[in-house]
Amino acid sequence: MILDVLKNSLAAPSRLIPVEALLGSCQGSRMPEVRPAALTSAAAQLAAEVCPTAALAVERNEEKLQLKLDYGKCIGCGRCIQVAPEAFVRADGFACVGVSREALIRYWELPCGAKIEGATTSESVRAEIHALMGRALNIRQLDPGSCNGCEAEISALTNPHYDLERFGIHFVASPKHADMLLVTGPVTRNMAEAVRNTYEAVPEPRLVVAVGACGVSGGLFAQSHAVVGPVSSVIPVDGYIPGCPPTPAMLVAGILHVLERHIRIGGRKQL
Amino acid sequence: MPGELFQIPETKDGKRVRLVTIFGRLTEEGKKRVHYIFDVGKPEYAVSIADGEQPVPSIAGSVPAASWYEREIHDQFGIEFPGSPDSRPLLSHENWPAGFHPMLASEVEVAPWTSASERSSPNEYRFLKVEGAGIVEVPVGPVHAGIIEPGHFRFSVVGDTVLHLELRHFYTHKGTERLFQGRPVMAGPMLAESVSGDNCFSHAVAYCQAVEAAFRVAVPPRAAAQRLIGLECERMIAHVGDVGALCNDVGFSVAAARAAGLKEDLLQASAQWIGTRYWRGVTVPGGLRADVSAAATADFARTVDETARRFAELAKVILGTPSVQNRFDLAGVLKRQVAGDLAVVGPVARASGIDIDVRSDHPYGGYSRGDLKVPFIHYGDVMARARIRIEEAAESMRLIQQAVGSLPEGEISTRFEPKQGVQGHSAVESPRGELFYWVEASGGLITRCHIKSPSFQNWPALPFAVVGNVIADFPLINKSFNLSYSGCDR
Repeated sequence: MILDVLKNSLAAPSRLIPVEALLGSCQGSRMPEVRPAALTSAAAQLAAEVCPTAALAVERNEEKLQLKLDYGKCIGCGRCIQVAPEAFVRADGFACVGVSREALIRYWELPCGAKIEGATTSESVRAEIHALMGRALNIRQLDPGSCNGCEAEISALTNPHYDLERFGIHFVASPKHADMLLVTGPVTRNMAEAVRNTYEAVPEPRLVVAVGACGVSGGLFAQSHAVVGPVSSVIPVDGYIPGCPPTPAMLVAGILHVLERHIRIGGRKQL
Repeated sequence: MPGELFQIPETKDGKRVRLVTIFGRLTEEGKKRVHYIFDVGKPEYAVSIADGEQPVPSIAGSVPAASWYEREIHDQFGIEFPGSPDSRPLLSHENWPAGFHPMLASEVEVAPWTSASERSSPNEYRFLKVEGAGIVEVPVGPVHAGIIEPGHFRFSVVGDTVLHLELRHFYTHKGTERLFQGRPVMAGPMLAESVSGDNCFSHAVAYCQAVEAAFRVAVPPRAAAQRLIGLECERMIAHVGDVGALCNDVGFSVAAARAAGLKEDLLQASAQWIGTRYWRGVTVPGGLRADVSAAATADFARTVDETARRFAELAKVILGTPSVQNRFDLAGVLKRQVAGDLAVVGPVARASGIDIDVRSDHPYGGYSRGDLKVPFIHYGDVMARARIRIEEAAESMRLIQQAVGSLPEGEISTRFEPKQGVQGHSAVESPRGELFYWVEASGGLITRCHIKSPSFQNWPALPFAVVGNVIADFPLINKSFNLSYSGCDR
């Protein structure tokens, strides 16, 4: 019977998703995107009013009004798309993963809708991918208070569709074996001490990646009396992956991007 | 003076009824009340209310399932339960200010929070000490080895055998019930979805149904049918994943990888059909947010059918594999008596010979009594829980096909103005069991929302299944319960 399973498994076509299809994909994440040509002040105002986590805000920058979209706070509820469908759509490609906190924030000038470029790294992850293949990166996942949504998607990284091991990346059981901490969720009062201890147990050089709207900004739980704050309020963070929850494709791209940035930049985090 | 001893209802044949939940609440005048919800064997739940302004005599001595609820209410509202066998804090760990009850504080901004090193509570949390020759205490957690949520397990072992196990949870306590208060009624689902991230659709539907019950809103048939499809899809995803994870825990990697692939197929089919893998942001009070096309629905149904067929083949192989049988059989037996005393729900209850399922006992939405095949098994071991999940996944597939085949046309949402002050409750059979929401609203805002999650109910039963087994089997037994930490801790 076991032989049957093996035989069937070997006969079945591979379900592995090629890396080109993973990087930049965000299908199923519900992340919004702005259509600059159709963005009006009224649409921006309307969307900012319904945004439950204040990821969208209309701000005055000197003389000009601008729309601010903080992907780190967005939980993908789709309210902006609902109230202003002409100006907001579901993103079908997404490169804002594994970047710095500032790079998650985008600005659009109102009312003409011209995008103001932030300090976004634009290096292509794809170009670096071969250099990363075969490198052993050990990741320890740490949950300081997540709802288990991000964990479910991180677990999916090991399934036959995503197979994170093909990049030479695997999950380890102990922080003492880890190069990178993948931290999900807001840090609760009850977990803050354990988060600090876990961080201390990871040998240097170490990378910390905050995952999900809660990990990046506290998300819906930012104001809770039982929550200390986002991951960065307790331990230093090197990269951010937004989403509620981020899809496995966004996680793969984000992990690779953080790694690439730190290998490129070198210095303290040289791995 | 303690209040009147609370009368626990009985069924006609004199049997003790099942406790569903207990929660505290403040009335409009700011008076404390304690609500008890019971399942008396009728479609409607029975409600009793006690005055929390005076100490409320504990019922935990005769209804063990009440213990955690009473401890939670004490932490939230400061209501005393004299006679309780266990009065230790539940939600608040040592670093919380003594005497702080977040549901009472009008300003929950409490400063200063002490750092972990200077604990404000002088008493360290007391675990039951088991002493004697050869007894070793093994603390595990809160941080675990793997992609899992945090919680603490304190084992007392003799050699490899577990003599005693005590849980300490609520590491992921996020004050969610407090966060609901003051939110617009229509913005409730997104918070409900973040209570337990892998059962988010069940939470969203339970919340919406409670609101709909409160405002007496009827959901259009098309929305009810699509909700049923979503709920059953979530159950399939959970059960396929759980069976695979059980295989992983006994070293049957091929089957584990196959099951993980099948789970992913279902998630991708959901993303294709409704644009979200875990059914977030789909439902609102009154119905659904967006409709689906017939062609996309047919594609989705085909994938579900194909996945269920392949899962059934895989399950046959898993159950027929001697190494699996050897590990699953007789491991982690939860006796019917214990399961009943602790009012255990869901697949865990059904694997221990308790025939309960909200879908047939308290029909809601698109479900009707008699239409549903609810499997139940008496053995109460890991094998029984695995088989319940396999059979339920097949039944979910059948329900999805049936609903897709007769999907009614028409509206997907009923509009209503959630203005007046009302209360309502509702239950949903989530993949983990009975999920109960109680919602109170006034002026368009939520004034109280209580969540009884199946995990909160089932966690206290886990130690009873583990005692007597070898400690190395704990991950397997724990996985066979597959309880949510965040759903429990909220």
